[in-house]
Amino acid sequence: MRIVYLIILACFGAPMVYSQSCTITVQGIVLDESTGIPLDLAILFIQETNQGLGTDQDGHFKITALCAGGYHLKVSHVGCEAQVIYLEVAKDTSITIFMHHHTELLNEIVVHGSIVETTTQNVQSVSKEDIVRSANKNLAELLEKISGVASLKNGSGVAKPIIHGLYGNRITILNSGLIQAGQQWGNDHAPEIDPFIADHITVVKGVSSLMYGGNGLGSAILIGQNAIEEDPHLHGQFNYIFQSNGRGHTINVKTQQYHTKLAWKLTGTYKNSGDTNTPDYFLTNTGKREYNFGLQLDKKVSPFFFSKMFMSSFNTELGILRGSHISNVTDLTTAFRRQEPFFTQGDFSGFLQSPRQEVHHQLVKWENRWSPSIHTVWNFNAGSQWNRRNEYDVRRSGRSSIPALSLDQWSHFAEAVIHHDFGNSKLMRGGIQYSFVNNVNDPETGVLPLIPNYSAVKPSGFLILSWDQSDHALELGGRVESQHLQAKVISTTLPRTILNKKHAFVNLSSGIGWKYKFHRNFNLNMNVGYIRRSPEVNELYSFGLHQGVASLEEGNPNLRQERSIKAIISSDFRLHDRLLIQGLAYYQRIQDYIYLEPLQTFRLTIRGAFPVYVYTQADARLMGMDWLASYSWSNHLKWIGKYAMVVSKNLIDNLGLVYTPPAAIQQSLQYTFSDFKHWKQSGIIFNSKTVFRQKNIIEQQDFLLPPPGYTLFGLELNTTLSLGKNPVKCALQIENIMDRPYRDYLNRLRYFADEVGRNVAIKVNYSF
Amino acid sequence: MKNIFIPLFIYLMILSSCDTKDPVVPNEEELITTLIYTLTPASGVDPIVLTFKDLDGDGGQTPVISGGTLLANTAYKGILQLSNDQASPVINISEEIKTESDVHQFFFNTSVGLNLAVSYYDVDAAGKPLGLATKIQTGNSSSGKLTVTLRHDPNKSASGVAQGNITNAGGETDIEVSFDLVIK
Repeated sequence: MRIVYLIILACFGAPMVYSQSCTITVQGIVLDESTGIPLDLAILFIQETNQGLGTDQDGHFKITALCAGGYHLKVSHVGCEAQVIYLEVAKDTSITIFMHHHTELLNEIVVHGSIVETTTQNVQSVSKEDIVRSANKNLAELLEKISGVASLKNGSGVAKPIIHGLYGNRITILNSGLIQAGQQWGNDHAPEIDPFIADHITVVKGVSSLMYGGNGLGSAILIGQNAIEEDPHLHGQFNYIFQSNGRGHTINVKTQQYHTKLAWKLTGTYKNSGDTNTPDYFLTNTGKREYNFGLQLDKKVSPFFFSKMFMSSFNTELGILRGSHISNVTDLTTAFRRQEPFFTQGDFSGFLQSPRQEVHHQLVKWENRWSPSIHTVWNFNAGSQWNRRNEYDVRRSGRSSIPALSLDQWSHFAEAVIHHDFGNSKLMRGGIQYSFVNNVNDPETGVLPLIPNYSAVKPSGFLILSWDQSDHALELGGRVESQHLQAKVISTTLPRTILNKKHAFVNLSSGIGWKYKFHRNFNLNMNVGYIRRSPEVNELYSFGLHQGVASLEEGNPNLRQERSIKAIISSDFRLHDRLLIQGLAYYQRIQDYIYLEPLQTFRLTIRGAFPVYVYTQADARLMGMDWLASYSWSNHLKWIGKYAMVVSKNLIDNLGLVYTPPAAIQQSLQYTFSDFKHWKQSGIIFNSKTVFRQKNIIEQQDFLLPPPGYTLFGLELNTTLSLGKNPVKCALQIENIMDRPYRDYLNRLRYFADEVGRNVAIKVNYSF
Repeated sequence: MKNIFIPLFIYLMILSSCDTKDPVVPNEEELITTLIYTLTPASGVDPIVLTFKDLDGDGGQTPVISGGTLLANTAYKGILQLSNDQASPVINISEEIKTESDVHQFFFNTSVGLNLAVSYYDVDAAGKPLGLATKIQTGNSSSGKLTVTLRHDPNKSASGVAQGNITNAGGETDIEVSFDLVIK
C-alpha cells in the first residue's frame, strides 16, 4: 500500500501565533483510495521525534505537541509498502491521506505523475517495494508475479514478457511514456530496461491500446516515474543483493531532493554475475554485467505549468550458453542426446566469451504539462531513444571480436495530448502523435544482415471519451495511425543489389469498456476492442539463420495487417476484507495472424540442409483465464493463489501457436510477526509454482516436444531493523529450494540445458 | 507557451528530415562458397575432382555439386581446398583453417555400402589430426555418399575423435557436404 498523494484539505482554526511552544496538532484521516473506506491500524511514525501512533477504527489519527518545523511522517500498514511524506508544520493542520492498493488488486487507477486517470481497462501493478525486492531479476521475470504474464526466455539472462499468450512486437512497452524502441522482434532480445528506474510497473491487459499505439495487439507494460516528492531534504536508498547462483552482486543507489527551483532524482545500478548452474552442472558462459543510470528533473515553472526531464541509460553485456551455439540440424540433434551441454566447464567462471550480446539503450524525454484551467490539462511531450545492439558469435580467424549482428536504431517521438473535464463526470482525452524510427546495420559484421536498413514514420491521433459515475463507468475511443515503412533490402542473388521497398498501412483501432460496481465488494468490467497491426520489418524482410535454432528464416513482403478482436470480462469480489477473488476471462480472434511456418523442403547450403521457415498468415484464436484469490485468517496469516491458462489455435491447421504459455499455478502462504523491539514487519513466506506441460504442440511444430511440467518451492524471510530513524530492510530468499532439475517450454535453450538450480539471495535495503 | 512550441517544432523538423540510407553491402569474408576435394591416385594420372559451389551463400541459387567415379582397390591422396570465390580477390579459406588447425577438424563419413576408407594425412599444431590432407583406400565396386564435415571448436580429446569418429566431437558445423561416389 502506498500513498499516492497527499492533499491538505483545509487549514482550520485561527492561525496561531507562531511560537516555539510546541503545541501544534496535526490530525487527519487515512482512506483507501479506490473504495474511500477509512483504514484502521495504519501506522504513522514521525522520524524527527521518534513518535509513533496508529489510526483508530475510523481511520483517524491525531499528532499533538509538535513544534513548528519540518517533519518526515512515515505511513505504513501491515505487510504493505511504507512511504514517507514531508510536512511543513506552522499551525494546527488537518490532512487526508489516500492509500493505494497496489500488489494484488486489479487497480482502477493508473497513476502517471500526478494525473490520475480513470480507466475501465484491466490494470495490475508491481509495487515499488516489490520492484526493489526483486531487482536482481530482469523486467520479464519480475512481471511473472502477475497472473496471466509469463516470459519467453533465452537462457537465464534474457527474458521477454508474454501477456495473454502474446509477446514481442504484439505487446507495447512504454518506458517513461515512450514506446520502447529496440529490436523487439528478436526472441532472444530482452527489453532494455532497468526495473530500478521505475516507481511503478503496470501491466494493462487490454483489448486495444488507444493512447499508446506502438503496433501492439492490446496489452501493454507501462514503466513510469512518479513526480518527485516535495521534500526539501536529501533522501534516498541503498540496495544490495547477492545471489548464490551465478555469484551475482547487484548494487543500486537512489537519491532525490526537492527544491522549488528544481527537483532531482538520480538512480544508479550495477549488476555483475557469472556462470549460473543447474543442480548438476555449470551453465558455461551465462554471466552478465549491467550498468544503468537514470536522472529525473522536475520543475514547477508556475502553478499551471510543470516540466519534467527524464534520461536513462541502460548498458549490458551478457553471455549466451556456449553449448547452445550450433550450426545445423546434425549439431542440434547431437545436442539433444547430451546429458550436459558441450563446452560445459567444471569450474565457475565470471568470464564472458562468444556467443554474447552487448546492448546499449539511451533514452531522453521531456514532458510538459500545462493546465490553463482546472478542467483542462495539455501535455506536450517529446523524446528520443538510441538503441545499439551487437551480437558476437564464435567465428573463424579472430572474427569472434567482430559482431555478427550490429544494429543501430534511432527513434524520435512527439505528442500533444489534451485532457478535458466537461463536468458531470464526463472526460475527454485526445491527442496527436508522431514517431520516426531509423534502423541501420553496421556493414563491418561481414555477414548479410538479418533485417534490412529501414525507416518508419508514424503519424497518429486518438480520442477517448469517458463517463464515470460513482457506481459505473463507460469508456469509448478510437485511434488512427498511418505507417510508412521504407526498407533497403540487399538481394540474395549475385551481384548484390539494393532493392528499395516501400509499404504504407493505416491502422485503425477502437475500444469500448464498461465497469459496474454492484456493491462495494463486487464489481464487473467488460472491454471489447478492435485493432489492426501492420507487419513489422522482420516479418516482411528478415533473411538468414533463425537465431541459433538450426533453421533459416525468411520474411514475406506480401503480408497484410493482422486484425484482432478481443473481449475481456473481469470481476473483483471481496468478503469481509478477508477473502478477495479476482477473475478475468478473455477471447481474442486474430485474422491474418503472422507466424513462421516450416516449409516441407530443406534448403541445401555448405553447412548441410536446413529447414526453412517462412512468415505466413492464418486466422488464430486465443482464449484464457487469469485468477487470483487471497484469504487472510488474521493480520498475521495470509494465503494468495494465482492461476493462469491460455489456449491458442491456428484456425487453418488446427494446431496450437508456438510459445503459448502452459497453464500455471502460483501460491504463497505468508506469516507476518508482530513487531518485536527493533525488529519490525518481520515475515516468512512459503511459495510454490506449478507449471503444467504444454500439450498443444505436436512433433511437426518443433524439434522437441514440450518438456513435462514441474513444481518449484521457495522460501523468503523478511525483516526491518529500525535502530535509528533510518530503517534497514533485510531479506533472505531461496528459490528452487529442492534444487530440482527441470526444463521449461518457454526457454529457447531447453534443447540444450536444464534450468538453473537452487538460488539463495540476500537482500539489504537502507533508506535515508 | 511559445517558448515550448519553438524547440518542439525544430525538433520535429530535424527528425522528419531523416531518410533511409542505402546500406553498404557487407564484405562476407568468412563465407565458404567453394569446396574442392581433389583425389589423386598413386599413379598421379587422372585425378578425380569433387566440387561443391554456392557462390551466393545461404539464399539465392541452389549449390552446384559434382561427384565422381573412383577405381576399385586403389589408393588416392586427397587434398581439400576451401575458398570464398565471392570475394575479390578470392579468399583462401584452407589457409585460415591451417592457421587455426587446433580448433578445426574434418570428418569423413561414408554411407552404408560404399567401400571406401579415409584416413588423416596431416596434423594440427598439437599433433592431432586435421584432415586438409587425407589418404583414401577404395575397396570393391560399390556406390554411395561421402560426407565431408568441418567442425569448428570440436573436443579433439574426446573418445574416438582422433580416429575420425564424429560422434563425440561436438563443436559447430562449418561445412557438411555430401558427394555421390561410384567405385568400379
